[in-house]
Amino acid sequence: MLAINQLKIRPSSKPADIACTAGSITVVLGRNQSGKTDLCRLAAGLPTKASGTVTIGGEIYQRKSGPVAMVFQAFVNYPSWTVAGNIASPMQAAGIRDEGRVRELAALVKIEHLLHRMPDELSGGQQQRLAIARALAKKPKVLLMDEPFVNLDFKLREALNAELRTLVEETGVALLFTTSDPSDALALADQLILLESHEVLQQGSALELYRSPVGFAAADLLSDPGINRLSDTQYVRPEHVHLSADSNGHSSTLRAVETNGAQSYLHADVTLTHGTEEWVVKLPGIVTHQAGEHVLLAVDHRDVLELGA
Amino acid sequence: MATIRLENVSFSYPSSEETTLRDLHLTVEHGSTHALLGASGAGKTTLLNLLSGLLHPSEGNVFIDDRDVSLVGARERNVALVFQFPVLYESKSVLANLTFPLLNRGWSKVDAKARALEIAKELEIDDVVSARPGQLSLFQKQLAAIGKSLVRTDVDLVLLDEPLTAVEPAMKWRLRQTLSKFQKHHGLTMIYVTHDQTEALTFASEVSVLANGAILQTGTPTEIYDHPANTFVGNFIGSPGMRFVGKGAVGTETLTDLEFEQPVQLERQTVGLRSEWLDPRAHGSGAWEVTGSRLLGTRAGEVRSLLTLTQGAAELLAEGAGAWSVGSRATLRAKRHAVIPAGDIHAG
Repeated sequence: MLAINQLKIRPSSKPADIACTAGSITVVLGRNQSGKTDLCRLAAGLPTKASGTVTIGGEIYQRKSGPVAMVFQAFVNYPSWTVAGNIASPMQAAGIRDEGRVRELAALVKIEHLLHRMPDELSGGQQQRLAIARALAKKPKVLLMDEPFVNLDFKLREALNAELRTLVEETGVALLFTTSDPSDALALADQLILLESHEVLQQGSALELYRSPVGFAAADLLSDPGINRLSDTQYVRPEHVHLSADSNGHSSTLRAVETNGAQSYLHADVTLTHGTEEWVVKLPGIVTHQAGEHVLLAVDHRDVLELGA
Repeated sequence: MATIRLENVSFSYPSSEETTLRDLHLTVEHGSTHALLGASGAGKTTLLNLLSGLLHPSEGNVFIDDRDVSLVGARERNVALVFQFPVLYESKSVLANLTFPLLNRGWSKVDAKARALEIAKELEIDDVVSARPGQLSLFQKQLAAIGKSLVRTDVDLVLLDEPLTAVEPAMKWRLRQTLSKFQKHHGLTMIYVTHDQTEALTFASEVSVLANGAILQTGTPTEIYDHPANTFVGNFIGSPGMRFVGKGAVGTETLTDLEFEQPVQLERQTVGLRSEWLDPRAHGSGAWEVTGSRLLGTRAGEVRSLLTLTQGAAELLAEGAGAWSVGSRATLRAKRHAVIPAGDIHAG
């Protein structure tokens, strides 16, 4: 649906071709300042330093022809109009009145009970839902969401993440979604694009990128916390290190133990043949280990990432 | 350091008809760490202000040890505050920032300097004591601000208001570790306000979950995660949150193909299930349909996904190993479950 050929975030970037399919989610994962917003602005036809040939359904994209809508980080709504008025505004501008469509859009993002409220009476999550409903009002073929959830607390992100899949399937829109969170990227992406320092590092299915990263930068970007170093060419993800069940393993001293309930994170100094490395180990559940303890850490050979020097 | 006790505390802002905090009971033992966890708007900051003495309860009492401080102002309480963003005198050196609160209280220059250096050493900022705040990283600045708050020796209680907000994510655990060591060494009573679960569950020996101005549960991190007192806490804690079946959960008393390892009475109990407690098994005629699948990663080479499973109006989340496609069918086995004592509470 949306394709960008010879995409260059900056004039000096190595060019790449990217494409988003109708009814599917393309996630762009990148850190702050990696070029995510430039990419969205280029796709939306807004002024940017990024360049490339943008086509929609095979045709060169002309701004204001309407098939692209964008949802930003900050909730952008008209403060003096009701929820219904906000959703209707893009249609109104085109001279269309369709209350049925307004209700349908509100239902899609689960704010149909709030149609008569004003935006400042909504919670952050409801405001972002409103912004999404408004973006969908003109039946765009492409929906761009630039880190739409950064200002929301994690419970709302959880709910909205789950709803995005349904929204894409029901509308058939091609969704381009940017984030800096690797777990969002894994969970949402039909297709994943890794962006770092203004260049596309790798693209493919999320599982492909998770299993076979092209290098250290790609592996580390799709890892939270970052990947652990075994040697100059070998690395391992935090969730692929475990406590040794026997006497084989890397002798390690725990520096800190943290938990969020579902997972615990062990920060360890690990003794390897070439010296000591600082690792983070992600284990399921709440563990009883404490800072200062010595443990043996083991890695399944199938989980070792060979990343070249 | 002291034991902090809230009895029956309620608070309303004068201009508002609504009660901001309702009937709070809380004991934070001398030398312990307690986290107040809640989403924005839960009442965390108001409670913090009641503890520091900036606000006074409309009803009920606040005790520091056995002293009733309900109406005692902030200046007359020995409470140290650490804020979200480091508060330092930019024109003074780190050392001068650290000695300032002591000199103000009549310490001699020699004693104040000795105490400040000792604190700086413990917080591992002794190599930057002659620098000015502008020359420090945000991480070091926040450590210096913490030092400035904790340098006094007469502090009864330390209140921390989301102190890691400004610190870059990769450094947060170091700051928590330093703070935790310091707390243990000095036997400080600390109350830590946060919306971040990792911070709350990691830092504190006990956690109170706040919503809509009420404390919904107080317990150890394991109690809160494994045995939530009500459905709000079960769903709020953990990502994804708990899902519920049985009494009070619409249409789920008569589920089929949901097997429990421990006995359970769905018609009489509300039962909480976490995704990692459920073991989905592919079965062509299973009553559960896979309606969503989100990639989590791999373990020992095998793919792991978070599956959404539906049966009628019921929806559960389960961690599945291997390949699962949307539309396939399954049976579910709960390796463990939580019985929710107050199943019908839906605060927030």
